[in-house]
Amino acid sequence: ETTKPVEPAQPTAGMQALRSARFLQIRNEAVNYPDGIKSPNPALNQNSKSKGRQYDKEFLLQFQEVFKEKPSIDWDLKLKETVGDSTDSARPQSAR
Amino acid sequence: TNGSAEESTATTATTNDSEIKTVFDDPDNFNVKHPLMHTWTLWFTKPPSGKGDNWNELLKEVISFDSVEEFWGIYNNITPTSDLALKSDYHLFKKGVRPEWEDSQNKHGGKWAFQFKDKKAINIDALWLHVMLAAIGENLEDEEDNEVMGVVVNVRRGFYRIGLWTRTVGKALPGEAGKGRTFEQGKEVLLKIGRRFKAALQLKENENVEFSGHTDSAHAGSTRAKAKFVA
Repeated sequence: ETTKPVEPAQPTAGMQALRSARFLQIRNEAVNYPDGIKSPNPALNQNSKSKGRQYDKEFLLQFQEVFKEKPSIDWDLKLKETVGDSTDSARPQSAR
Repeated sequence: TNGSAEESTATTATTNDSEIKTVFDDPDNFNVKHPLMHTWTLWFTKPPSGKGDNWNELLKEVISFDSVEEFWGIYNNITPTSDLALKSDYHLFKKGVRPEWEDSQNKHGGKWAFQFKDKKAINIDALWLHVMLAAIGENLEDEEDNEVMGVVVNVRRGFYRIGLWTRTVGKALPGEAGKGRTFEQGKEVLLKIGRRFKAALQLKENENVEFSGHTDSAHAGSTRAKAKFVA
């Protein structure tokens, strides 16, 4: 266990941005997304009772390659304690 | 305290509210994020070790989130379903609901489910992702339906199964007199949700998702309870 990589001590810029960013008010704020980025399907949020927090798959999938930050600096440890180490658990267990 | 009040004034003064920067503008320095309708909690069921561990110790809460950005940070840094050991499950549930039949909010409920028996013929990672996106993007139910509790993927020897848990089986719940739907209305809501679930799973018209109540499954002593509805 001595070869474990050292965890970064500070959260990354992306982690900090996620933490300090405020929630958009989808129904009241017009966002100009950069060229090539589709806005959420307006039809989903037209209902006057809607809180404006419905998103179509095509809109959501655009984030996949854009935001890849780990949720926290201790994420690898947390993952190991919950989901486990995929490198051992994924191996089929020997029946011996 | 005084200190934090001053600090927040200072922050307001230096932030230009009209300048909206999304993660698409600058992934390291965005100032707005996209809120989800609900806060969701991801759970994981570890495969049993074979040493008589009880199920409660195998069910682990991983993380809760309430924005689109945070969802992708998690998804991009967690073991894909296709790499999980047999007998693992991921559960994505609304915060405050344990993904168990015994939870008071699930005990009158049921689930839509589909088993993918040819594990090699499908891309389970894409299917599970699309079902999660349909859940967090609120495409599975209408706002007033109040049925969807969460979604689940089971990794088993002979199949993958994806399920969608609902709060009711179509009947009004005890203590909800007056607010309840008639059984016909309740059934229509569940069937609509089932059809949207089927669409999210990209199933063919002749591949049916099946609905069963949790207590039916519990009493049958098996997860293969008789289907009440199909869509």
